Formats: sequence, structure tokens, C-alpha cells
Amino acid sequence: MEQKKGYCFTAIVGQEDMKTALILNVINPRLGGVLIQGEKGTAKSTAVRALAELLPLRNQVKGCRFNCDWEDKAHICEECLTKQRRGEKLATIQAPMQVIDLPVSATEDRVVGTLDIEHAIKTGEKKFESGILARANRNILYVDEVNLLDDHVVDVLLDSAAMGVNTVEREGVSFSHPADFILVGTMNPEEGDLRPQLIDRFGLSVKVIGERGVESRVKVLQERLKYEEHPEEFFQEYEPLQQDLRERILQAKARLKEVSYSQEMLELIAKICIKLDVDGHRADIVMLKTAITLAAYNERSQVEREDVLTAAQLALPHRMRKKPFEEASFDLSMIKEIQ
Amino acid sequence: MSMRKAVFPFTAVLGQDNIKKALIWNLVNPAVGGVLIAGEKGTAKSTLVRGMAVLSQERKIVELPLNVTEDRLVGAIDFQRAMQGGENVLDPGILKEADGNILYVDEVNLLSDYIVDVLLETTGTKLNIVEREGISCSHSSDFILIGSMNQEEGQLRSQFLDRFGLYVEAEGEKDLALRVEIMERRLDFEQAPLRFIQRYQEETQELSEKIRKARLFLPEVEVSRDNLMFAAYLSSQSNCVGHRGELVVIEAARAIASLDGRTKIEPEDILEAAALALVHRMKEFSLDLDGQSENSENQTEEPEQTFSNQEPDNSETENDAGQEADITEKVSESSDKDKKNRNPDDGDKNPEAEDEKKKQQKKENHGKNQNFRNPDGSFAARLMPLDGSNQNQIVSDQNWEETADFPTDSGEAQESRIGRDEIEAPGEIFQISKWQEGIYKKALSRSSGRRRNSISSNQQGRYVRYRLAGEEKVTDLAFDATLRAAAPFQHLRDKQNRAIAVEKDDMRVKIREKRSGGCILFVVDASSSMNANRRMQEVKAAILSLLNVSYQKRDRVGMIAFRKGKAELLLGFTGSVELAQKELEELPTGGTTPLAAGLDLAYEVTMTLLTREPDARPTIVLVSDGKATSRKWNNDTPFDEALEVAEKIGKQGLNTIILDTTEKSEKTVKPAKASYCGRLNEKLHGTLLTMEEIRAEGIVEAVARYQK
Repeated sequence: MEQKKGYCFTAIVGQEDMKTALILNVINPRLGGVLIQGEKGTAKSTAVRALAELLPLRNQVKGCRFNCDWEDKAHICEECLTKQRRGEKLATIQAPMQVIDLPVSATEDRVVGTLDIEHAIKTGEKKFESGILARANRNILYVDEVNLLDDHVVDVLLDSAAMGVNTVEREGVSFSHPADFILVGTMNPEEGDLRPQLIDRFGLSVKVIGERGVESRVKVLQERLKYEEHPEEFFQEYEPLQQDLRERILQAKARLKEVSYSQEMLELIAKICIKLDVDGHRADIVMLKTAITLAAYNERSQVEREDVLTAAQLALPHRMRKKPFEEASFDLSMIKEIQ
Repeated sequence: MSMRKAVFPFTAVLGQDNIKKALIWNLVNPAVGGVLIAGEKGTAKSTLVRGMAVLSQERKIVELPLNVTEDRLVGAIDFQRAMQGGENVLDPGILKEADGNILYVDEVNLLSDYIVDVLLETTGTKLNIVEREGISCSHSSDFILIGSMNQEEGQLRSQFLDRFGLYVEAEGEKDLALRVEIMERRLDFEQAPLRFIQRYQEETQELSEKIRKARLFLPEVEVSRDNLMFAAYLSSQSNCVGHRGELVVIEAARAIASLDGRTKIEPEDILEAAALALVHRMKEFSLDLDGQSENSENQTEEPEQTFSNQEPDNSETENDAGQEADITEKVSESSDKDKKNRNPDDGDKNPEAEDEKKKQQKKENHGKNQNFRNPDGSFAARLMPLDGSNQNQIVSDQNWEETADFPTDSGEAQESRIGRDEIEAPGEIFQISKWQEGIYKKALSRSSGRRRNSISSNQQGRYVRYRLAGEEKVTDLAFDATLRAAAPFQHLRDKQNRAIAVEKDDMRVKIREKRSGGCILFVVDASSSMNANRRMQEVKAAILSLLNVSYQKRDRVGMIAFRKGKAELLLGFTGSVELAQKELEELPTGGTTPLAAGLDLAYEVTMTLLTREPDARPTIVLVSDGKATSRKWNNDTPFDEALEVAEKIGKQGLNTIILDTTEKSEKTVKPAKASYCGRLNEKLHGTLLTMEEIRAEGIVEAVARYQK
């Protein structure tokens, strides 16, 4: 069965913060992912999948279960290296970025990988059977309802996300492989919290709410109907916009290394973090990276004040030092006066 | 197999001097016994640990992943060789790899209890003894144990805490320029890791050379008897548990002296070491201002005895007799002064004493005392309230001023604690959180902070180890263990064309551990009697504090309120403490007191929970004055009805706490036992606390009792 072509990213109405946060992560995978907080039915999953489809194909080693990129020498898996040392030729194929789902019911051995039982029984040999984290390497790992995952699964997940490596010392196997993925989590805060330590590991966070205005709601419906009933028309209509965004992302990726920042901007970031009394230094670093990525996305080679303020909105709300029973609130006005 | 990853250079990390010191001392002298780094997220904790590997030529870092299973930790039978050749050979685990190296556990407070038990045993004996799966062997497993954690996520068992030689806390830098520099370095590193590492190469090499020299020099450093006495003195002064404290102090001081190229250990070295070695061994390292005044007398008596007792029988360090005399003199002087200071009439402000001390100070310190105290003064700040006077002897002039002021500080703190009673509304987080902060700190300082992981009986939770399947039907087979069990017998068995034959006796099933936390159900009286004298505000504040503790412990909370003739479940068990708080804030008061209905609903809710999750450990917290005024079944007095339900709950053995909100004035009339709550508690077999107790220190006790 041929898979139906997904929705167009550019056809998603509203949810600008979410879209920006996702795009920024694709431009700069080092931002540390996005946590999307909000109600059901707000196009969260659609947006993530649509973004992956928008992106151009990239190279990966054929048959590698970690989707290695042969060009990226620092992140090649042990298996590809062994093959190469043995003089085997590694074929490269073109493949799209994928969205790998991590279901709430996932058990730890399915996430990190485990002993390949079939292989062991058949041959009497130990072999590592890779899990979801292996497939997620170089892809987007999408965790719906991340706050409902078993605590210990979240622990390993975020640990891998931070290190870019999955280390397994379980059930008779000892193995480690690259697990460098863009982590996208969603949660509904009413159903329970994510521990502060874990929430901090998400680079950015955005809140989504359903579109409130009648007009935009109608627009959402119209586009959706068009996609269902006349997909060809729909894709034709959006192709130019899709192409534009694709180009813009690619250019931003290329520009990323050239973006510079002034001492003043660094100080602004530090001042904001001090003012808001956020824990540790991760917030500063993520904010700076986000501002740089924003500048690149906005076709500039210099970080400006507006980049920093937007970055603050994306990187700080979930990192505000939460008084035991206060809702962590972030208000742009709190930092606007900071010079 | 390890991934090659560029590591942020140790020497490029700004600030966090205490962590750096602690790690370096361990490299110089592994007898220091490791270090536990506690601190908020994003403070370079793990960066520093991973960065320290390059500083040592012979030790590498072995990381212990949180989800390690027992077989990979201690080692197990080599499955492949057993299958192929029928050999019983050990496939060594992480404990073997860690031997002679550094074992690093990130998020060490989240480690499974069983794994902690194994670590405790290994760090104690320095041996890993494997007696399992037909294998019987042992090997050395002597490593430097380094852990890092965020205290917000729970504490370590005190026994495990004690295994870490040193304890340091990490905090984010507040200085603007430093923050900017930290950002810049991180970004530079990420953009070109190798170039960045190159830039710090020279510094790294210098430090690594310094450590190497210090390690070679270490045997030259002599430990004098005075050193031992001073360490023991500090340890007993800071009310430390056990004797490991002073040993670590001495070993760390040796490292300090050795790094400095000195053969003698100075008192400052010992102080510097003590700052990182004793804090986590103090019985209570929170600012327990209340308790201090009562027992400081006893505490200060002890060291004097210790000194005089030790004097005659210690013969090991006679060659240092000269220095010894000097110190003894110093000590006797210091105890004199202590007495003076304890005297309320001259106190700390006595100018004469101050001058004398300053003079004494200069004489003793040889101008070397610039940095023996933590820049943040945390050790002193903690030590001080326990016994401020003795410490004055040894801190520098400038620091002395601060310490002299300390009693004033504590006075203020006491005042503000009284001020905290005036909570106008539960919504005023500032006052409440201040109050909570005190409670929270105390809760943390007690050893039994974290709820013990429970062993899960269904198939949820983390597979940590296995057991024999026995006669039962196997539902959760531990494949790896089963295969290992079957492997050695393969050459004897009829495999019937299969690669491996598994028999019933080989079957192993998984033992899973689940970090379950407790379930706390608040049953709140919201009747009009709770309105008197703003009682409800205090009650709400008290519940908020308890909720806060629950939050730290990852407990789930639920809430029932009863008023106006009925009881309502406001909130089912949830991990979101915020929701409970919202409900509480919006909770109106007024009307009659249907106590029986409230308790009955609590019973129902709790029993439902236990049906669904047999592993859950619920606690019912009743917050009421116990004066029932409204019936549920109309066949008894309201209070007798409540007693009936209480009996039902008591018979189930459910864990209960009553928070008695009766006014103090009313209480003087009757003894506690005869009060309404007292009578309820007799039926519940739970814990009875008054509001006053809760406010003073009862919460900690209450929390400790949850864990039974």
C-alpha cells in the first residue's frame, strides 16, 4: 500500500511558536529538542511529521541500523567502522529524515535495545538487538505524552539525548552506539509534571492552544478538507511555499557557522538569566544557540536584540526556577527593559 | 565499546572550584574515597567528571548507566563459551572494568536499590565476589567512586552517602562576566571541539603533571598526631556520624599538602579538607537554630575529653612532639575561650576576646589562611550554628567578623520564623515557601529522605536482577539469565535439532524494581469550625508544605474534602502537585462536619488504589479537629460513626496520620489521648500530630513515618 503523502508544513494555520521551534531545531540539531505543551488536537504530531517530509533527502550508509552518515566521522557506529577496517565497501543511499515514535507503553528494553534472543537461541551467540534509540539516530524522536512515560524510561531517554550516545549494560549485553536525535516531546501539564531535571534537558519549549478566532478555525477546516478531498490541488497550491521554506532552512543551515554575536548580546543573555534566576547555565547556552539559529533563519549574520528576546521566549519558560507551588510564569515584559 | 567523543576540557570549566579540588585530591590520593557532587541542573557536574579522565595517566572513567542489570555489574557466566565448550568462565562486568579506575554514576540518587547494595558491598571490601550461575570467583574491584546528582530528585541512603569521601555542592555562577565567559567557551567548544581542546592543552598538561608529581610525593607527607587530633576534633565538633569523616579529612589533607609540595600537613589543609569531607556526615547539616542552644553545651564538652584521652596512648607520632605541644596549648586556650563565648554576658561581641583571638589568629596561620574556607562559606555557615564558638579559633580575621555576626543572623532567622506564622492566605507563596524551605532542607538532611524503591510484582518497572522460577507459571522470563543457566549443560542434553535446549530448571524470571513513591491522600475538614481564628489558612499552609515534600519525593497525591454534610473527591491520585494545590486554594470552608463520610470515602479510594496497584503504599492524612457534627448513616452519633470507619481503616493496616487542628487553648482542658483526634487515632493506629508540632518540626517525622 502506498503511503499517503503527509500534510504540508506550510499549510498549518497559526501555532507560530511551535513551528519556529521545530524549524530552529532542524536548522541546528544541537539546540536540544522541543517540548510542546498543550491540549489535544493542536496539530502537534502533524507539524512534526510535516516538517520531516519537507526536508530534503540526506545520505546514509546502506543497511546501517543507526543510519550513519559516512561524512560525519565523529559519529560513526562501531559496526560501520569495523566493516570499513575490513575493507568492505559501504554503500550510501539517499533517505528522508524520519519521525520515530516512542509510545508511552514502550518498555525499557525496547527503547535502549537488548539481547537478541532469537539469535542467541539459534546460534548460541550474544548479539545486541537495537531498540528505538538506534532507529532515532539522525532522526526526530517523537514522544507523545512524555510526562506519562515510566520514569526510568524518561531517564535513559534524556540521558541519551544529552550525550548523543546510548550505552547499554543490560541483560548480558554491553554495547554503545550513536543516538543523536532531535527530541520532540508533547505533554498536557494537567496530567502530571515532568521532573524539573528532565524538563531542563529539552532545549526549547512552546505552549500551544487551539486557534480561538472563528476565522482561523474556519481556515484550519478548509485546508484540512482540501487536503482530504483534493490532495493534488492542495499539494500544488503549497508546493511553492514548501520549496521556499526548504530553501530557507538549507541556507540557514549553511549560514549557521558564520553568524557572529557581540559582547553586548552575550551580556544581555546573562542578564536575563540572572534576572529570572534560572538554575545552572544550560539556559544561557541554549539561549545563545537559539539566538544564533534565529539570526541564521532570518538571513542575518549578526545576532540582534530581537533574536535574543525571541530566544528567551523559547528557552526560558520551562526553566524558570519554580517556587514550590507557583506556576512558572514567563512574561516578555519582565525582560524587555533589560538593556 | 566506547564512543569517541570530544570532552570539554577540565581546565576550561570556569568556577566550581570545590568540585575541581575534590576531583584532583582523589586523583592524587585515591584513599580520599571518591566524591559526591550535588547541585542544580546545568552546572558542569558531569562535564568536570568526564573531563578529569585526561588528567590521569593510569585511570580511565568507567560509567555506570542507571539502567544497568546485575549481571553486567558484577559479571556473569560467559554464555557463548559455556554454549560452545561447556566452560564455566566469568564474563566480567563493570566492577571488573572499574578496578583501578574511576567509576562514575550520573544521577546516582536514581540508582536502583539493589545496585546500590552491590556498590556498598564492593566499596567496603574492594572485592567483587561472584558466586552464581555455577561460577565461583572473586577479583579486586578497587575504584574511585564518583557520583553526581540533583538533590531535587531525592537523596541517597545515608549508608551510601557515607561511602563518598567528599561531598561538594555545585551552583550556577551569578556573576555577569563569568556567565558570559561560560557561554562563550561552550559555544567555542561546540563549534570546533578539537581546536578548543588544543587551546587548553598546555594548561591541562600542567595540571596533569602537577597531579602526577603530587601522587609520587604523597608517601613523603607525614601525618602528625596533631593532625589526627585536629581532624578528630573537627569531626566531633561538627557532630559527624561515624569515624570515616576524620579519616577522609586526613587523606584529603595529605593530598593538599602533597600538591603543595610540603611534607607537613598544616591546620589549614585539614580545615580545607574538612570543608568537603564532613558536611554530609553531620547528623543535621541544616540550620537547626532551635536545637542548637540546648545541646551546644554537651557538644563542646566532648572534644576536650577526646583530646585529653588521646594524649597518653598515642605513640605513633612522637617525632612531632614539638608541634604537638603547641597544638595542645592552642586547644586548651580555645576551650577556655569557648567557655567565655558560651557565657551570655560577654558573648561574641566581647572586644577583648576578639582582639585576643585576632592576635592568636595571626600567629597561628602563617598568613596562609586566604583560601581555606570555601568562597561561599557554606561549610562554616553550616558548622557555625552547631557550634559557632570553636570555629572562631581558626578562621581568618576577615572571616571572623562574619562569624562573630552569626548569632545576630540566627536571631533574625528566628524572628522571621515567628513572623511566618502570619500567613494571610495560602496563596502567598513567598511566606509559605520560606517556611517550606526550612522544612525541605531538614527533610533532605535526614537520611531516610527518599522513598525506597519497591519491588514490583507485575511486569512494570525496571528489570534489575532475576530469580529462580520455581514451580509457578513463568510469565516474565529473564531470557538472558535463562540462557546462561542452560548454557553449561548443552553438551549433555538432547537438543532435538535445536541450537539450545532449555529445561524447566533453567527458567529464571525477572525481578523488577519500580520507583513508585508513596501515595498520599489528604482528607481535609472544610467545615465551619475550621474557620475560627484563621485556622484554615494555617491548615492550608501546612498541607502545602506536606505537598511540597511529596513533590520532592515524587509521591502521588490525592485530596478529599468534607463539609456541609458530604465528602467529595477533589482530586484522584496524581503526580501533579500543582493540581492539588489549585484545588486546595479554591477550597471553600463552612457548614457541618461529616467526618465519617470523609473517612469512608478515603477508605474507598485507598482500597480501589490497592486493588489496581498492589505495590502502592498509600498514606491517609486526616486534617481535622475531629469534632464530627454530621452523620452519614443516621444510626449513631456523628463521632461514633467516625470511630467505626476509623476502626475499619485501622484493621486494614493502612498508614495514617492525623493532623489535629484543635486550638491550643482548647487542648489544655483535656489530655491529648482523650481528645477527639486522640480517640480516632486509637482506632487508626496511626500517627497523631498537632499543628504546633507540624510547624516546629513534625513534618519531617511525619514524612519519615510514611516510609515504614
